[in-house]
Amino acid sequence: MSDPILSFDDLTVQFGGVRACDSISGSVERGSLFALIGPNGAGKTTLVNAVSGVYKPLPGAQVQFHPGGKPSKDLLSYRPYQIARLGVARTFQNLGLFMGENVLTNLLLGRYIHEHTRLIEGGLFTRRAVKRELAARAAIERVVDLLDLGAFRREPVGDLPYGVQKRVEFGRVLAMEPELLMLDEPMAGMSVDEKQDMIRYIYSAQDELDMTVFLIEHDMGVVMSIADHVMVLDFGQKIAEGTPAEMQRDERVIAAYLGTEVEV
Amino acid sequence: MTATENPATQQASNTYRPSTLQRFLPFVIAAVVPFILGATTNDLNFWWKAAITVAILALVARLAWRWTPRGELTHREDMRLWRTPSDRSWAALTMFGLLVLPFILASDFTPPMDFPWATWFAVVNLVLIFAMGAAAFNLLVGYSGQISLAHVAFLALGSIVGGIVGVQWSGGNMWLALPAAALAGAVVGAISGLPALRLKHLYLLLATFGFHFVMMLVWREYLQEYFGFVGIRFKGVNSPRIASWLHWLPGIDPDENGEFIITGQFRWYWVLMPITVLSILFMVNVIRTREGRAFAAVRDRDVSASLLGINVARSKLMAFALSSAVVAMSGVLASFYIGSRGEDSFNVQTVLNYAIIIVVGGFSSIQGAIFGSAFFWFLPEWFKWAREELWFVRDIDFLSDYPSEIDLAIKGFLVVIILMFKPDGLAGLWRDFKNWLGRSLARRKP
Repeated sequence: MSDPILSFDDLTVQFGGVRACDSISGSVERGSLFALIGPNGAGKTTLVNAVSGVYKPLPGAQVQFHPGGKPSKDLLSYRPYQIARLGVARTFQNLGLFMGENVLTNLLLGRYIHEHTRLIEGGLFTRRAVKRELAARAAIERVVDLLDLGAFRREPVGDLPYGVQKRVEFGRVLAMEPELLMLDEPMAGMSVDEKQDMIRYIYSAQDELDMTVFLIEHDMGVVMSIADHVMVLDFGQKIAEGTPAEMQRDERVIAAYLGTEVEV
Repeated sequence: MTATENPATQQASNTYRPSTLQRFLPFVIAAVVPFILGATTNDLNFWWKAAITVAILALVARLAWRWTPRGELTHREDMRLWRTPSDRSWAALTMFGLLVLPFILASDFTPPMDFPWATWFAVVNLVLIFAMGAAAFNLLVGYSGQISLAHVAFLALGSIVGGIVGVQWSGGNMWLALPAAALAGAVVGAISGLPALRLKHLYLLLATFGFHFVMMLVWREYLQEYFGFVGIRFKGVNSPRIASWLHWLPGIDPDENGEFIITGQFRWYWVLMPITVLSILFMVNVIRTREGRAFAAVRDRDVSASLLGINVARSKLMAFALSSAVVAMSGVLASFYIGSRGEDSFNVQTVLNYAIIIVVGGFSSIQGAIFGSAFFWFLPEWFKWAREELWFVRDIDFLSDYPSEIDLAIKGFLVVIILMFKPDGLAGLWRDFKNWLGRSLARRKP
């Protein structure tokens, strides 16, 4: 019984002569925690960029998104902002935050797709606009509580430590309430404590908020302990796929990470 | 270090005490209002003065009561434009100043040393018009990050619409011309913003500057034919009238032709001030709600903004439309206030003037646009006064020989200084001053 929320088939992204992703196929189970791993330059981020509409894959690729209770959508025919509105949210490896704005503004931007205040309503600050603004803030409050961001509400994001910035960005995608959450190395550059906090947050997003998590991660230890399903990329090719335990035993994976012996 | 370990920041972001200034403000105003009204207005009778005093005091008392924070801020309180006690105090002072200023300027009070009091009223009205246009320009260039030089084209568009709708069709109906100009400005503004979908930074600047010349071409080819060689006249029979439901107000008497024309600085002030304040409030409200946040997001990172569900192209065009609509409205006001507009009212120098205003005032700050335009218009006045009255300046022939060139040189020099040392401009200086004042008041408390 497979119930995928996202399936991609024959996905190829080419930059000049370089194939960053070479006909990759796979699918993400609804409600699972799917991890995409691989060494540097394996094409992990490129894959996420292709799914979220930032890069256009070569013709022939198929990316299907299956929202719960609605007909499935061919993501390649949508623009990035439409994909976000369909319920696919993502974070960035090197932070997609708006550094000059404060934490509150950044989080409220996550509510953009759920608020419906028009420019003129906002300018006149009508009763309805205020009500919607308050509703957005109430939704933010849940995220703020979950991620312990209360102390930073009015701080410009650029002034905060890196670990907190990562949390703010995670909070922003949580505020979008997506069905599919794509996290691009959410734990890169974090201390062990911060990593454990982040794992806790990811778990609560998955369990309490009913999101499917698509995780790109470098740290094998983390992936092995939390993922339901792992896909391994190397040089743009899918080299293995399966449960974490299987991946730890797989020779090609070990070779990709540790290298192979070369006869001299 | 993580957030939760620092209780100091946690407290400060959530609770407030009323500031010293806020606590004493009602008393200060109560003491000052009757005095100023009594000293400055000769043509109002006692009952009018009493009524105005009571109205202002009631307003201040009501706001002071409503805005006093009690304990933790709720979200509704946190959303306020003036959140902190110090914000509220300054806002109340500004409001009070705006209400009292025309009475002071219209009085026959003369400051010592021939300080140019009498000419100030015209300058204040110009500042109001320019503040509105510059704030809209800053919303586009500073806040939304879409570098544009087409704003003077929209001033011209405002004059054109004012000429056609306000003068030709309705013979001096400014109230019809204002919404018409806003509509035209929004539509043409969105069109002028189309290059922004493909271009950024310097290239966008050049493309929008091109739009300026297109508008000048329209002016030359079309308008000179219909409105004559010199330009459009908004004076005389084309002057705007005071609406009939306002004729009961004090000091509103018909002139010799039985017309209620908006003329003289005092009457113009009460037209310009509310329109400027309301349009600036509108823009500030946009900034603090959904679409305004999207403007900032598109400015900082457009890819990231689009992945939040923001239609970047639509957001950019909306910023252009909003800004151009307000600039066109300020163009209508300027036309009717100044009285005639010709081709050289919209030259390249005017484009640069607006750039000077927003750089000196402070980039991406609505407040900065107000400071900037005040600076822009008051500097020549003060410089003129200094040349005539201050002995150490009067003796320098060089300064008296080239007054307007030196005006410009001072402004240009200040732009350089501000870009180098204080990028947030006069608005930033003002913020520093407020913080310093707050700190020193807090220190004196037992």
